[in-house]
Amino acid sequence: MFAYYLRLALASFRRNPGLTALMIMAIALGISVCMITLTTYRAAAANPAGDHGEILFAASIDSWDPEDSYEDYDKSLGPTMLTYRDARALYASEIPDRKLIMYRSGGIYTRADKGMEPQYFRTRMTTRDFFAMFDVPFLFGGPWDNKADDGPEPVVVLSKDANQKAFGGVNSVGRVLHWNNRDFRVIGVLDSWEPMPKYFDVSNGSFEDMEGAYIPFAWGPVLELGSHGNTNCWKTEVINSFQDFLNSECIWFHAWFELRTADKQRAFKEFLDNYVLEQKKHGRFPRPLNNYLYDVGGWLKRNKVVDDDNKAMLVLAFAFLAVCLVNTVGLLLAKFLNAAPTAGVRRALGASRRDIFWQHLTESGVVALAGGIVGGLLGLAGVWALRAWYGRFVDEALRAVPFDSNNFLIIVAIAVGAGILAGLYPAWRIGRAAPASYLKVQ
Amino acid sequence: MAIRPILSALMRNRAGAILVALQIAITLAIIVNAVYLTTQRVTKIGRPSGIDDQNIFAFWVTTYEKDYDYLGMLREDMAMIRQMPDVIDAAPMQQVPLSGSGNSSGYYSLPDKKGEESPANTYATDDHGARALGVTLSAGRDFEPNDVVYKAAATRERFDTASAIISGGLARALFKDEPALGKDFYDDQSHPIRVIGVISHMQGSWLGWDKVDRTLLYTYIEPPSTQYVIRVKPGTIDRVIADVEAAMRKRDPNRVIETPMRKMSDMKRRGYAGDSLMAVTLTTVTGLVLVFSSLGIFGLATFNVNSRTRQIGTRRAVGARKLDIVQYFLAENWLVTSVGVLIGCGLALGAGYWLSTQYQLPRLDLYYLVGGVLGLWALGQLAAWQPALRAAKVSPAMATRNI
Repeated sequence: MFAYYLRLALASFRRNPGLTALMIMAIALGISVCMITLTTYRAAAANPAGDHGEILFAASIDSWDPEDSYEDYDKSLGPTMLTYRDARALYASEIPDRKLIMYRSGGIYTRADKGMEPQYFRTRMTTRDFFAMFDVPFLFGGPWDNKADDGPEPVVVLSKDANQKAFGGVNSVGRVLHWNNRDFRVIGVLDSWEPMPKYFDVSNGSFEDMEGAYIPFAWGPVLELGSHGNTNCWKTEVINSFQDFLNSECIWFHAWFELRTADKQRAFKEFLDNYVLEQKKHGRFPRPLNNYLYDVGGWLKRNKVVDDDNKAMLVLAFAFLAVCLVNTVGLLLAKFLNAAPTAGVRRALGASRRDIFWQHLTESGVVALAGGIVGGLLGLAGVWALRAWYGRFVDEALRAVPFDSNNFLIIVAIAVGAGILAGLYPAWRIGRAAPASYLKVQ
Repeated sequence: MAIRPILSALMRNRAGAILVALQIAITLAIIVNAVYLTTQRVTKIGRPSGIDDQNIFAFWVTTYEKDYDYLGMLREDMAMIRQMPDVIDAAPMQQVPLSGSGNSSGYYSLPDKKGEESPANTYATDDHGARALGVTLSAGRDFEPNDVVYKAAATRERFDTASAIISGGLARALFKDEPALGKDFYDDQSHPIRVIGVISHMQGSWLGWDKVDRTLLYTYIEPPSTQYVIRVKPGTIDRVIADVEAAMRKRDPNRVIETPMRKMSDMKRRGYAGDSLMAVTLTTVTGLVLVFSSLGIFGLATFNVNSRTRQIGTRRAVGARKLDIVQYFLAENWLVTSVGVLIGCGLALGAGYWLSTQYQLPRLDLYYLVGGVLGLWALGQLAAWQPALRAAKVSPAMATRNI
C-alpha cells in the first residue's frame, strides 16, 4: 500500500512541480537556518568539562569597591578573579580534594644551542593539580609533583604545538628551555588539548588560544612576572614594587577547587564566608558578604559565555522555521483541496477515509524528507562557510562550531517530523471531505 | 464594496485564510524587530574611529636578553622605518586602539576624586604617536621630542604623566562644554595632568564599550616590549608590511618580532564580528521571510481564484465588470493581510519588549512598526495582483459550463 501511495505522491508532484519545489524549499530553508544557529548556539553553550564539571568549583569572593559593584548590569555579582592574598589563602584550605591557583603570563623562550628561533609562548603559571583537575592529556612525561610547586623547581610542561616549535615534536622530556634568564627543564608534553569554551579561564577570552607553556605558580612572585591577561583594580593604592602589586586589591588570579561531596561543598562555602568575615576585621572586604562557588556550568553562565546575540538569533531562527511550516501547511492544504475531486473518485471507488488520510500524509512525508535532505545539506554548507570565513578571519568563537554529520541526520529527522506535523491537518481535512460533492460537478 | 460576501466566501476556506494571516503575523514580528536591530548594528559598525584605520598596521617587538639596549633599539628601528618609502609615520605604542586589548584608568575634573569622573583608554607612545594614528587635533599642539619620558630599564614604579592629548569624548565627559585645552584634570591619586591638545574624535580599544570614544595619549617609553604602529600611504600596506618585516629582521635578529603583522582594518573587523554576523543573519532571514510570505499569499489567492472559476463567471454574467472582480480579490486579500497585521502588531511589540529587556535597548521604535504594517499591506496586494488579474480574465461563459 505504502509503495502505491508513494507512486501517487510522485504523480502528484509531477502535476505541480513548481508548488512542490516551493514546499521543499520552504522546509529546507527553515531547517537550514535553524541548523546553523543551533550549532552556533550549542558550540557556545557547550560544557567541555562534562560530568566532572559538576564537582569543579570556581570561587568568587566580593573584595570589590564599596562604592561600585563589579558588574554594572547586575549588582549582586562579585568579581570573577581573585587578589594574590586571597588566592593564596583559599589555596591553603585542606577541605578540597584537589585545588589550584593560576594566572596567565608569557615571555620569550630560547634554546641555549640556538636550535629554535626565540618564541613568545603564552604561559600559564599554575599549581600542579591543574593537569589532573582538567583531565589534560599528556603525550610525553607528566605533570610536576608537589615538591616542584613548593621549591619552586625550574620545570616546564609544553603544549604539543609549543613542543613542535621548540623541539620539532620529538620527546623533549629532560631537554632545557631558557626563559627569564633561567633554565627550565621540560617535564611533560601535552597531547592536543583545546577545550572550547576555554572554561577554566573565561576572563581572558572564552575562545582564546591555549597556552604554550605551563610553569609552577610560585615562579610568578620569584621572577616578578606580571599578568599577560586581564588585571582589574579599584582601589587607590601606592604601587611601587611587584610586592606592592601582590599586596594590592588588584585581581588577576583564578582558583578552582575539586569538591567531590555535598558536605565538602558546604564546608568549603562556609570556609569562604569565615575567611571573608575574618578579613573584614582587618578592614578589608568593605562590601556585604557575597561569596559564590560556581560549578563549571554555573561559571560559564556567570561569565555570559553564551551571549545575548546567540539567544536572539536562535529565537529568530525558530520564528523563521514557524513561518516556513505555516507556509507549508497552507500550500499543502491548497494543493490537496485542488486535487479533491480525485480523492472523491477514490472514495467513491471504495477507499476509506483512513486510506485517503494515509495517502496524503505519505505525500507530506515525502515533501518533508526532500526538504530535510536539501535543508541539511544547505545547513552543512552554511556551518562550513561560517567556520571557514567568520571563524578564520573574524570571530575565533566560531572555530568552536562543531562540524559533524550527526547533526545532518538529526536535522533530517526533525524536518521529517515537522513536515508530517504540517501535513496532518491537510490530510485529515481532505480525508473528511464528502465524495458526493466532488462527484456531482464532474 | 460589500465586505459581507467576501467574508462568507473566506469562511468556506477558513483554514487557508487563517494560515496566511498567521504567517503574516509572525512575518511582521520578525521583520520589524530584525530591521530595528540591523539598523542599530549597521550604525554601530559604520561609526568613524577617528583613526586612519585602513592604512595602519602594528606588531609586537619583545626583547629578552639581559641588559639589552632597548632605547637604542627603538631609536634605530624608528629612524629606519620612518624613512622607508610610503611610510607616513611610525611610533612605539604599548596598546593599539581598536585591537580589543587596552588599558583604562579613571580620571576626575578636580583633585581628591571630585568633580566629573570618567574612565578612558590610555596609550603610552612617543612624540610621533598622534601622527602614526592619523588622528586630527582640533585644538592645542602635538607632542614634542622633549615631552617624551624614556626609561632605560624596566621599573615597577607607577608613572604619572604631567601632560596628555585627550579625545573630544573625554574632554566633554570631564569639562562639559568648556574648552579643555590648557586645563588640568586628575588621576585617582590627584596628580594633575595638563591638556596640551584635543583630538576631535578617537576611538579606544574596546569597540563594544559605550565609552569607547574616551581616549588619552601620553608620552612614556619603558622596556622590555612594545608594539610598533605604522601608518602608510593608501594602497601600499601589503608591500610595506613585507618591507618592514624584512628590514626589522635584518637590522637586529636578537628580539622577537610578531608575525604576521596585524592590519588595523582586520582588528576593526574582528571588533565588530558579532555585530556584522548579527546584521548579516538578520538581513538574510528578513529577506527569506518576505519571499515566503509573498509566496504564501500568492498561493492562497491562486487557490481561491482556481476554486471559484464558476462563481466568477456567474458574477461576470450578471454584470460585474473586470475591475469589480480584481477589486474583489484584492479586498479579500487585504482583509486577510489586515487580520495578520493586527495580530502581528501584538507579536512584534511583545518580541520588541523581550529584546529590549535582553539588550537594555530603548523600546522598539514605533516608526518601524508603522513601516512594517504599510510594507506588508503593499506586499500582500502585490502578491495577490497576478491571481486577481487572472480571475478578471475568466469569461462570463464559464457560468454555464461545468468544469
